[in-house]
Amino acid sequence: MKIVIAGAGEVGSHLARLLSNEEQDIIVIDDDTDKLAPLDANFNLMTISGKATSFNCLREARVGTADLFIAVTPYESTNIVACGIAKSFGTKCTVARVSHYGFMDPQNGPIMKRMGVDRLIYPEYLAAKEIITSLEHSWARSWFELHEGQIILLGVRLNADAPLAGMELRELSQHPWGFHISAIRRNHETIIPRGDDKIEAGDILYITTTPDRVNTLVQVCGKDDRRIRKVLIMGGSKIAIRLTDMAGSRFRFTIIDSDREVCRRLPVKCPDAAVIYGDARDPEVLIEAGAAEADAFIALSPSSESNILTTLTAKELGIPKSVAEVEDIQFIPQAEALGINTVINKKLLASSTIFQLLLDADSSTSKCLALADAEVAELEVRPNAKITRAAVKDLHLDRNMTLAGLIRDGQGMLITGNTVIRPGDRVLLFCLSGSLHKLERLFS
Amino acid sequence: MLLRVLGSLLLIEGLFMLVPMLACLAYGEADWRAFGITAGGTALTGWMLKRLLPVASTHFGKRESYLLTGSVWVVFSFFGMIPFIISSAGMDVSDAFFEAMSGFTTTGATCRPADAPPLAHGIMMWQAMMQWLGGMGIILFTLAVIPTLNSSGGMQMFNAEVPGITHEKIMPRISQTAISLWSIYAGFTLILTILLLLGPMDLFDSVCHAFGTMSTGGFSSNSGGIAAYHSDYVTILVTVFMLLGGIDFALIFTVIMGRWERARRNEVVKWFVFTILLFWLLFDVGIWMTSASTDWRSYTIEPAFQVVSTITSTGYTYGNISTWGPLVLALTFLMMFSGGCAGSTSGGAKFDRLLYAFKRIGNEVNRCIHPNAIYSVRINGRIANPDLVAKVVLFLGIYVLLIAGGGVLLSAMGCPTVDSFFSSFACLSNTGFGASVTGYGDDFASIPDMAKWVLAALMLIGRLEIFTILVLFAPAFWRK
Repeated sequence: MKIVIAGAGEVGSHLARLLSNEEQDIIVIDDDTDKLAPLDANFNLMTISGKATSFNCLREARVGTADLFIAVTPYESTNIVACGIAKSFGTKCTVARVSHYGFMDPQNGPIMKRMGVDRLIYPEYLAAKEIITSLEHSWARSWFELHEGQIILLGVRLNADAPLAGMELRELSQHPWGFHISAIRRNHETIIPRGDDKIEAGDILYITTTPDRVNTLVQVCGKDDRRIRKVLIMGGSKIAIRLTDMAGSRFRFTIIDSDREVCRRLPVKCPDAAVIYGDARDPEVLIEAGAAEADAFIALSPSSESNILTTLTAKELGIPKSVAEVEDIQFIPQAEALGINTVINKKLLASSTIFQLLLDADSSTSKCLALADAEVAELEVRPNAKITRAAVKDLHLDRNMTLAGLIRDGQGMLITGNTVIRPGDRVLLFCLSGSLHKLERLFS
Repeated sequence: MLLRVLGSLLLIEGLFMLVPMLACLAYGEADWRAFGITAGGTALTGWMLKRLLPVASTHFGKRESYLLTGSVWVVFSFFGMIPFIISSAGMDVSDAFFEAMSGFTTTGATCRPADAPPLAHGIMMWQAMMQWLGGMGIILFTLAVIPTLNSSGGMQMFNAEVPGITHEKIMPRISQTAISLWSIYAGFTLILTILLLLGPMDLFDSVCHAFGTMSTGGFSSNSGGIAAYHSDYVTILVTVFMLLGGIDFALIFTVIMGRWERARRNEVVKWFVFTILLFWLLFDVGIWMTSASTDWRSYTIEPAFQVVSTITSTGYTYGNISTWGPLVLALTFLMMFSGGCAGSTSGGAKFDRLLYAFKRIGNEVNRCIHPNAIYSVRINGRIANPDLVAKVVLFLGIYVLLIAGGGVLLSAMGCPTVDSFFSSFACLSNTGFGASVTGYGDDFASIPDMAKWVLAALMLIGRLEIFTILVLFAPAFWRK
């Protein structure tokens, strides 16, 4: 599949790297040759230096033959114009990153379509959505619902006193708990576990389950499902505004910002939230803002360092749930190791969403999530697929992948060694990065 | 991981050795056994490396790419020399290694004395085959056929092997780029073979000369060279295809794909062709001064052939070049230094680099008059990064130093001084003229064994454009 990416900023580069490892034909366009040089020298892709809106440049990239055109330059107007040109040249699907909610509004969809933009990426919206999910399921680190909530995929860090800690995976089958441990993240590394792997306290488990089993899961992981009500936010950024707008009255927000001008404007955009002028890095300010009775602390200031450190302060003050926006990708593993419950990164969110679009375009039936270095895909089984020939335990699947669950006739169910997969099932599977393309053979 | 890839590469080499074996069988020569044994041994070693070794790490970074690229060329030459030793050619190890390295690097130098009896067809086929493989690049061929290298590691090996200043990709994925370049190369070779067949050559000679011409290696299956055919048709044909071999293949690809605007913008090729025409004229002046001309050919076809053969580092000689006088010889030196365009199969310091350097010199001269003006080097309509220009100038400096260093080493081993420097120059630039061209000394046959190893090393350094080999000797490369 041919993909043209305009803009070699952080999202563009990250995507280009991700996709070139997935054996796609990638062309990256940027007018800054210094940004292109490292990509060109180190990755299996082609670069063209020029402006994203330059006709010559797009002609040189032959966007007319491209399946996907992704515009992720820093300017939304450039992105939209570039998509428009690419669409007129004949690109099948165009994606533009925007930084303004108006474009996302469903009533404006047909207008965007007419301008040649098929899909929109608005990272602040994605971040707000992610934060709301993490607040609603405060005990989990990540939470994905697939197929209208029939199957739930969640990530959770195991407490030391959890019943699960110290167990071998094969012991699990003796309990009627009904969940599937699909991946384990330990010491910055993702493992697809086998029967003899042991679960340790401090692991982040990626678990697949059905909605009726969630309550047992909370117990065996040693967590308690705490309902979140009062939320402190540091920094009145775009994400904060979007978050308060989308969450409605489910939570009570208090926004702390150290810029007086921002504080003046915030009440206009977030009428339901309380606004406090002060520096949230100061513990006194946090206590005054009501840290004692707060259930969650969300750090959304522009500085990743401040976000990480202030979140730690908030934890010391006794706020149980913490969310930090970390825009420097290098810091994310450290932030996770420090015990921050949920880390938000707009770039990763944007790129995994685009990745999902890509799989949609590839075969209209698959969906995908990108975790740190693993991928989750939902694939439909075609008639006579290789995977239907035997029970799962006899298929001799690659060690880098595991089948987590499936949806049959609209009902979610888990996959065990004895399950036989039938054509028409939608299978949820985990695989380590870079091996996703190998799966197609199994399913078609 | 490194050894595994090396193993797959050796399997490929073993496969290619079957071609000279078939040639032997076709001509009823006894050497087919030598090729059979070598092919079997090479393939077996490759298979063992590939299958029997445990994989310690799948990491494939910059270091591994450089190491693999460098070692592939050496290992290939080691296996490639075996037929020369065990067949009827009966060379000793130094000679055979020199011959093999000279083949793969498309230098085309031979250490066999000019009056030696002709080699068996199989051996000659293998010499031509080596040049053909080395011309476009062993790694590039592998990238085209082995899918596992279609990754960033393969990308870096591409950068380490393909000559040129910046490496332009013509397709998004490295294997597609490799396939496109190799198909153009193979296509041209096929066309040339057919065209040569229409002339006075037989099939064997056509194939060998097509290999030697397209790879700008300069191998000839006829001890008299191209001149021995006394055919203007052959001479002109070979001249044209040598010229093609000296032009950037990526550019040829874009032209074939019908994208003329890229070619129109390309000034390197314009200057390249202009330079060739200029040298042609100067050659005529030289020939006229020494009154070496015999008929109209020695003003037209012969100097044109010689100019193209030298500037593309092919190294075919047209018989009587040494009688054309000192001016022609001096011009030959200049052209050996220059070489063809970056991204071609030719050797030398590459024409693009000289263009950068000359433009830079022009800027410096202008700066004397307008000290505050901003000058930039503009190549093919794009402004070159000053760092890149600095690297190019540095490259030319190291190039000269290496020629001098090689010359001094050879002199220390007892070769005549002029021959030492000339041989070192001819090997580093992959032209492969024997010192007989200068009219002073002998062929490579007469030099000591140690000197042959030095020259073989110079050929490799010249083929992989210095830094790929140089980096292997940097302490930082081996430090973890």
